[in-house]
Amino acid sequence: MTTLTAPAPTRTDGLRQTLLLAQWQLRRQSQYLPLMVVVQVFMAVATVVGYGLLVGDPDPVTALFLATGAPTITLITVGLVMVPQMVGQSRIEGSLDWMRTLPVPRIAFLLSDLLVWTLIALPGMALGVLAGVLRFDVDLSIAPWFLPATLLVSLTAAAVGYAMATVLPPQLAMLLTQALVFIVLLFSPVSYPAERMPAWLQTAHEWLPIEPMAQLVRAGLAQQTFAMPARSLVVLVTWAVVALAGAAVALRRRA
Amino acid sequence: MTGQDVLTVRGLRKRYRGRRGVQANDGIDLDVAAGQVVGLLGHNGAGKTTLVHQVVGLVRPDSGSITVTGVDAVAHPEHARRLVSIQAQANVPISGLTPRRAIELVGRIRGAAPADVRRRATDLLDALDLGAWADTPAEKVSGGVARLTAFAMTTVVPGRLVVLDELTNDVDPVRRRLLWQQIRGLADAGHGVLLVTHNVREAERVVDHLAILDRGVVRAADTPAGLTARLRGSLTLEVDTVPGVPVRWHPAARDAAAGHLRATATVPSDAAAEVVRWAQDEVEAGRLERYALTPASLEDVYVQLVGEPADVTEEVPAA
Repeated sequence: MTTLTAPAPTRTDGLRQTLLLAQWQLRRQSQYLPLMVVVQVFMAVATVVGYGLLVGDPDPVTALFLATGAPTITLITVGLVMVPQMVGQSRIEGSLDWMRTLPVPRIAFLLSDLLVWTLIALPGMALGVLAGVLRFDVDLSIAPWFLPATLLVSLTAAAVGYAMATVLPPQLAMLLTQALVFIVLLFSPVSYPAERMPAWLQTAHEWLPIEPMAQLVRAGLAQQTFAMPARSLVVLVTWAVVALAGAAVALRRRA
Repeated sequence: MTGQDVLTVRGLRKRYRGRRGVQANDGIDLDVAAGQVVGLLGHNGAGKTTLVHQVVGLVRPDSGSITVTGVDAVAHPEHARRLVSIQAQANVPISGLTPRRAIELVGRIRGAAPADVRRRATDLLDALDLGAWADTPAEKVSGGVARLTAFAMTTVVPGRLVVLDELTNDVDPVRRRLLWQQIRGLADAGHGVLLVTHNVREAERVVDHLAILDRGVVRAADTPAGLTARLRGSLTLEVDTVPGVPVRWHPAARDAAAGHLRATATVPSDAAAEVVRWAQDEVEAGRLERYALTPASLEDVYVQLVGEPADVTEEVPAA
């Protein structure tokens, strides 16, 4: 029997390997994949319906906040909650260590996880938007840059989540994600305007990535009502760059 | 076929900091040539896994050098990973995949063409007699099959250096032989194979060269015959004892050790005839059940060099 030898590396290797790693992750999850999509959809729709119960009959602007908040929350939870849980899981079961011995660019691990979870979250996000439109009877005006904007949001959230999961002990990271769900759902200006929060929390959110994420999705879905402040875009891009660099460093780190 | 060194390790040192700092590697020198199967023997905690993780850049050495086919693996870990494939000590979880799918995906991640990978995966599955499980979901296969699958994942597109860590754990005796054939085949095709194990007897039969690692240092490195040469003048006497009757050893016997109903001693080979006569008399008198005289084994050399594994420390986690 003859053995195979690896060909010389080429420029497109990283992309091909990212897709193969994503395939590996998707197939490993295949048994629970339908259930995960259903849960994502349920969460997105439940957020809309639940907020509706909380506020009763909202005025048009509040309604628009609620309808655009649900997809943002879905995107953020994927990156900040699902990704760290997946990384934590693979660290605990020991597969990450072996995968890291493969000749794959370190950032491909992050990008493949992100791709997998974005695919899983997409139906939820779409149905969340639809549920919001139906429940609150709002008119959307979707910007042409909406899709790349959602990618920037999920990339930033996933990079932050990845950095968290690689730097902290797995159990601690997984616990922290539970706390983050509450912060994002209730104590972030995602589904309501920032002015309702205490001043100190508003100041904090001026520097955190959650508010810019919400603003971007909001402006992307209802561009006639909301604009994306330039400052927020700078904050978001800065977070994206820093978090990606942090995740890359964490992935390259040698004990 | 033996040739150029695929792995050269010089003066490798690594200390894990922390409350109980562990000097995992304390100046390791090691060579693996192309076409060679090199055994790395050592207790748990001897520093084997730390060494392996430094070769592929998961752990950074404090000092020393690692060269893989001329490439500085410490400075260029991403380059080293292309040249090395590793089977980890713990099984890689592949639940959700089938053995065939996992082998093929790894082969493609390592850059080989889909058709080549399919053919090679089928060859490996056949050679290891895994056909019956090839398309069974991995969560339903036994530990031995999972182990063999991990071997196939490692060698579907083997690096110039192939590192196999405790690969025969859980594998049945028949398939172990198939595994050894594969390993020999890798070496014959020009790959260097580093076989990390604590199974001394197994290592003795398959390796060309052996290094004995203890507390982070290579205590001895030679061919199996070369390592046992130092004990060539002596033989091992094993006796099965009669319950309640202590052994009254022949005067030529040295280093006697007793276990449950079994005792061993070392005797000089020129006293062999006398000792056999003594042992036969003891058996006839009913003071011994059986006896056997064997050449000194690698296990004897190993135990002499590193001592009984009484001071086993925990395996150092490689973060």
